[in-house]
Amino acid sequence: MIPPSPTSAILLRARELAGRPVVTLGGELEAEIKDVVFESDGGPVAGFTLRNEGLFSRARKDALPWRAVHGVGRDAVMIRDVEQLVPAEELAPKKVARKGNVLDDRVLTDSGRELGTVLDVVLQGGAGLDVVGYEIEASEGLGTAGRRVFIPLPDTVAVSGENLIVPASAAEFVSEDLSGFGAAVDEFRSRLREGRDEGEQN
Amino acid sequence: MLFSDARKSDVVSIGTATKVGRVDGFVVATGPARVALLRVGKAQGDGTLVSWADVQGFGSDAVTVADTAVIRVPSDEWEQRSDSRDLDILGKRVLSERGDELGEITDVDFDPETGAVTTFITGKETIGGDRLIGHGRYAVVVTVDPSA
Repeated sequence: MIPPSPTSAILLRARELAGRPVVTLGGELEAEIKDVVFESDGGPVAGFTLRNEGLFSRARKDALPWRAVHGVGRDAVMIRDVEQLVPAEELAPKKVARKGNVLDDRVLTDSGRELGTVLDVVLQGGAGLDVVGYEIEASEGLGTAGRRVFIPLPDTVAVSGENLIVPASAAEFVSEDLSGFGAAVDEFRSRLREGRDEGEQN
Repeated sequence: MLFSDARKSDVVSIGTATKVGRVDGFVVATGPARVALLRVGKAQGDGTLVSWADVQGFGSDAVTVADTAVIRVPSDEWEQRSDSRDLDILGKRVLSERGDELGEITDVDFDPETGAVTTFITGKETIGGDRLIGHGRYAVVVTVDPSA
């Protein structure tokens, strides 16, 4: 039997994952997701910090690295067993700290136009959980000021960093709903790749 | 045969031809999915479990065993959890190994000859017994539907 990829190719917001139960393939509830941990150089997520289940639970000292994730679904994050959890500091605590900086940050284009402020990070499932965009509160520059919109990211951009700079062309691929956003990300990225190829030829 | 039909069946000793207990529940094991233990109530003595291997016949009217001695106490941690209903499968949520919930188990169909679980029944669908990966206190975990 071919093992399925860990997630279906769904789009989800990083903040939606908070509180999702972490369940072993043996059917035991081990923890809840606390936060998503991003790699500092962009790309797939590094893993998750954990807390014990329940409303006022404390953060746990162990964390879930992506390699130990068996599946990320609508209702649970599946792991093979608890043996694969690692100490939280092993998942680079600095990366966790940076995540907080991204939220509420301004997004600027490389031509210096402000697009909005970050409300959430959009992830896409597949073999890994990739960072594909931001949900932002649009500013005047987008013509939809005050609305929540989705803006795609190049596949190489870092989630962290003090300045969230995106290519100016990203503004052409803004979506107002998450369901149409997947196609926008694909189009945007293939446009960037085409541009890159042309540059190499010259 | 369905768990719902087989539950409350009398457990009858062939040796004495008397009722020695009543089927209160089923404990499912994995690899392959099968009924591993019967939880038995109203038995004399401290015993509460009968291994499937000690079941002589699983009929529509009664479950037969050699004698009352096969009704025993839990012998390890897993059996203790079974005895405390921690591992009862009825009413438990089903998760795919990808983490999508597929409903709650409302009934289970099994082969009374072998104990093999043929299907798990949820409100929405039936799930082949061969899709069972594991089950614990929180959930029953199954493979992703191969036809989906």
